[in-house]
Amino acid sequence: MERSRKVYGLAAEFANATALYNAAEKVRDAGFRKWDVHTPFPVHGMDKAMGLGKSWLSAVVLCGGTLGLLTAVVLECYPSLFDYPVVVHGKPTTFMTVPAFMPIFFELTVLFSAFSTVFALLIMNQLPRWNHPMFNWERFAKVTDDGFFLVIEARDPKFSETKTRELLEQIGGQHVTLVHD
Amino acid sequence: MTEHSQPKAEVFNQNDAGNWLPLLLGAGAIGIVGSAICAFIPNLHEQFAYSWLFAFMYFFTLCAGSLFWILVHHATDAEWSVVVRRILETVAGLLPIALLFFIPALLCAPTLWKWWNIPHGADEVLDKKRWYLSHGFFVLRYVIYFALLSFVALSLKRHSTQQDADGKASHTISMRKFGVAGIPVFALSLTFGAVDWLMGLDYKWGSTMWGVYIFAGAAGSSMSLLVLIVTALKNKGYLNNVVTLEHYHIMGKLMFAFSVFWAYIGFSQYMLIWYANIPEETSYFIRRNVESWWYLSLLLVIGRFFIPFPLLLLQWTKKVPKVLCCVAGWIVLMQMLDLYVVIMPMLHKTGFSPSFIDLLALLGIGGTLGFLFLKALGKHNLFPTRDPRLPQSLQLTN
Repeated sequence: MERSRKVYGLAAEFANATALYNAAEKVRDAGFRKWDVHTPFPVHGMDKAMGLGKSWLSAVVLCGGTLGLLTAVVLECYPSLFDYPVVVHGKPTTFMTVPAFMPIFFELTVLFSAFSTVFALLIMNQLPRWNHPMFNWERFAKVTDDGFFLVIEARDPKFSETKTRELLEQIGGQHVTLVHD
Repeated sequence: MTEHSQPKAEVFNQNDAGNWLPLLLGAGAIGIVGSAICAFIPNLHEQFAYSWLFAFMYFFTLCAGSLFWILVHHATDAEWSVVVRRILETVAGLLPIALLFFIPALLCAPTLWKWWNIPHGADEVLDKKRWYLSHGFFVLRYVIYFALLSFVALSLKRHSTQQDADGKASHTISMRKFGVAGIPVFALSLTFGAVDWLMGLDYKWGSTMWGVYIFAGAAGSSMSLLVLIVTALKNKGYLNNVVTLEHYHIMGKLMFAFSVFWAYIGFSQYMLIWYANIPEETSYFIRRNVESWWYLSLLLVIGRFFIPFPLLLLQWTKKVPKVLCCVAGWIVLMQMLDLYVVIMPMLHKTGFSPSFIDLLALLGIGGTLGFLFLKALGKHNLFPTRDPRLPQSLQLTN
């Protein structure tokens, strides 16, 4: 039954965070692109060790925030200043009344930024999903406790079942296992 | 994850200050003597009182803001700020001297705080506030702020420098206690100090956001001052293996946060007063939005928020010390403008009117404090060499 399934990748377990960190640097230097590490807690500097570079999340948030601000400007200024001006609390119906709109400018900027952060994050992490191939490996349950894992995916152009296995064993990987979809 | 060797202790060599020591001392002496002469010339006395209060508040907020960052560092058990903490401690250590500069303003109290000489029964609004605005209580409050802030700042500095000598972890525990207990002490002293000395310039006016408004400016500008001092030291060859671009990144983020916070508080205060439109509250903004004060108020809003905001929003600007220093220098200047627009319209009601006494007072207090700062910097290590969190601070990654 297992054999009919597609190969997801080769996974290896490492003794601790330092070993995984050093292994990540070597996998990065070997030129692999489609691979990931899994740890029970965030490891500082891991993004650098993996050669990830700057995340593009901030660009999405900037666009979302700007869109929120523009939405608030249009939603408030068009009706209140042009379409249907109403004098409230003796305030003018010109641009001089803009201080009253500021809280909504601010709130919609924050709201749209927050939404774009959440949704961009979901897309970047390929969530939501029912299952992940890594869960097909029993040892992987340790990832929420004391396991440090590195997986090189089969779709990586450099992937080779024998050579990648050799590399993982060479850099200190234990229990190197072929994980299926 | 790479191993760092413990960096060697560094002590600031006074020779590296170059001509700054005599220059600052000279500026301080000229400023203080010049201001003192003006104080006794009847025509200039009023201008002296306001100029002195302005210069005092400017340097006091910079020192108090530095104390705030030390308190937060200890209260939150922060790691990143260990390497820059000694510089903050040296600036905050100037608080007792800075607060002593308040005494000349106190001697001009009848000129500055109009409620001082108004007799009982002359103003019903004032009579309701007499329990708070009375001569004895006013002076007593100053003594309390002086004692508490000096005690907290000097205790933290003493523990920190003693740890350099004996390396005991118990100092870290003591400093944490001071950090937690010091926050309410700091918050109440700065809030009531701002109420007494600035809000009291117009006893009829009141704003419950006043304390936090002054605090927002103080915290942001003292973080900017820290960036400037660290960079100046690095240019002289100090702290080069200690303070990294990662530290700059965090300091830049805090400058950004407090530019936004200043705008948030400043606007909240403005909008509530504008919307409610109650005469005794609007008087503050009306006075600052007429004549040439309007241009300075506008410059403050643009300069303190709209210029730093986009610059600090970008990630790379926080990692290029030269760019960050330009923004930091600008923010330190804007803090000066902020206090100028708070204080001076109470004297020059018809518009912006700069005086040479403003400059004398700034030189007098700033020169003296700058000189004492450079002297104090040479007495101890430039960073806490035996702080238990130093390794984590050195390895900082954002």
